[in-house]
Amino acid sequence: MTADNTTTAVEATDDHAHGEDDDDATCEYCGDRFPTEQLRDLHRGLEHYDVLDDDDRAAYEAAYEAETESLQSFRLRALAALVLLYFGFLMLYAVVGL
Amino acid sequence: MSRRLARPLGAVLGLAAVCGVAVAHGGSLRGASGDSLAVPTWLFLSTGGAVVGASFLLASFVTDRAFVASVHGWTRSVPAPRRLLAWAGRLVGLAAFVVLVVAGFAGPTEPLRNAAIVLVWVGWWAGLVMATYLVGNTWPALDPFRTLTRPLARVTDGARDLDANAAAWTSTAFLLALVWVEVVSPLADAPPLLAGVTLAYLGVAAGGVVAVGHETWFGEVDPVARLFRSYGAVAPVERTESGLSLRVPAARLTERVVDTRGGVAFVVAVLWGTTYDGLVGTPAWAGFARTVVNAGVPAQLLYPAALVGGFLAFHRLYWWAARKARETAPTYTDVETLAVRFAPSLLAIAAGYHLAHYLVYFLSLSPSLFGAVLAPLDPPIARRLVLPGWLSGVGVAAVLLGHLLAIWVAHGTAFDELPGRLQAVRSQYALTAVMVFYTMSSLWIVSQPAGSPPFL
Repeated sequence: MTADNTTTAVEATDDHAHGEDDDDATCEYCGDRFPTEQLRDLHRGLEHYDVLDDDDRAAYEAAYEAETESLQSFRLRALAALVLLYFGFLMLYAVVGL
Repeated sequence: MSRRLARPLGAVLGLAAVCGVAVAHGGSLRGASGDSLAVPTWLFLSTGGAVVGASFLLASFVTDRAFVASVHGWTRSVPAPRRLLAWAGRLVGLAAFVVLVVAGFAGPTEPLRNAAIVLVWVGWWAGLVMATYLVGNTWPALDPFRTLTRPLARVTDGARDLDANAAAWTSTAFLLALVWVEVVSPLADAPPLLAGVTLAYLGVAAGGVVAVGHETWFGEVDPVARLFRSYGAVAPVERTESGLSLRVPAARLTERVVDTRGGVAFVVAVLWGTTYDGLVGTPAWAGFARTVVNAGVPAQLLYPAALVGGFLAFHRLYWWAARKARETAPTYTDVETLAVRFAPSLLAIAAGYHLAHYLVYFLSLSPSLFGAVLAPLDPPIARRLVLPGWLSGVGVAAVLLGHLLAIWVAHGTAFDELPGRLQAVRSQYALTAVMVFYTMSSLWIVSQPAGSPPFL
């Protein structure tokens, strides 16, 4: 019981540090809170899809599309990092092997 | 449909190809070089770190939730005669226990010809643990302590409910104590001492069963049972109600294998225990220990202090990664949930490191094991198997493979826990950094010539 209380206390301060009060979004079906509305919409689509109304489903699809776009740009950056890593090590081995 | 499948499949194949090349490279480095590496150590270590980093980047290309869940959720059940296997296991475990005690007190004094030493260190600590994470956990059936204390369970008033968190912390403390005893005492050279310690452990188990009940002791507190259960979660075979079930190796780590803060501490202790065991055998440690002992610190204090200090450092580092995950994702899921969910991925790393450490040891001493099993009291002259040189490269490959599995497991867990795909990838930044650090330090230990720790 004491352990639980401490955890909640720690959580509360952590949440405050993140500025949760400013723009948090709560799922009305299970009460979970999310840092952005996009994440809330994604959560609703994944966990409560059957009970959603049309607007919420549309919000889920929009959030999914928006996320797919940011994933594309993330993939480009990840690919660039991989290429850099590969050629960086290629050069390193060439220099060390000389 | 085929396009949807093609992309993740391509990513996985790409990951396998890149890692395969890197592993073969790491393997050939060790195999070809003998005592010294063909490239400078810093380059060898950073290549290992880069392989882990690159595999994180490659895993981040696999963002199809259904695909990730289907890989981890795939099971196939295999019917098996559970009761028969359990009884056979108990008999084998009991026979091994009797041989251990008799040979320990009455067997030959030469360590490698003594059945007690060979059974415990080669058969159990190397062989059985390897079988546990490579195939499945058979320890609950074999465990002679569990079998021998079963009659006590009827006498005592049954199971007592313990706080799961406190039980897991107790288990962690016990495990660290066992690691300490294993490293500092001559348990691998003195058969009577080994038999005595085994009997003492039976006494501890009996005391535990009387205090908290059979079920609770072996299910929650006993560090050895918990250790085997943890390693067993990496394995492809799992015991179920109807028989056995097959899964993708390490897939079970995406489930709630750990459920308390104490459980997280235990997983970190498993990881640190295997590392510490290797670390104290390195020349760098020998140099450090000599300096510290010459400065006036007693060696008896140095070893436990390093054990506890290292554990605390690893523990803090892991919790730092869990807290960071909360910021980088970002998510309001509490730190404890994140720490508990991601901790099992470390078990794949511990298994890889154990394999790196013990495969060659097990194979080269296996003739002694056969000799000791066939004629416990008068075994043939101890022989070592001569192994091909490339086998030492398996160590490097095992360390890397353990980390790659861990990256993939953590990726799958993040997708299971968090609603956003990009959020799941971002939550892995700090954990990947910790894993890169860990790969480099364990590769460094594996690449060092192994010696015996000084002042013991």
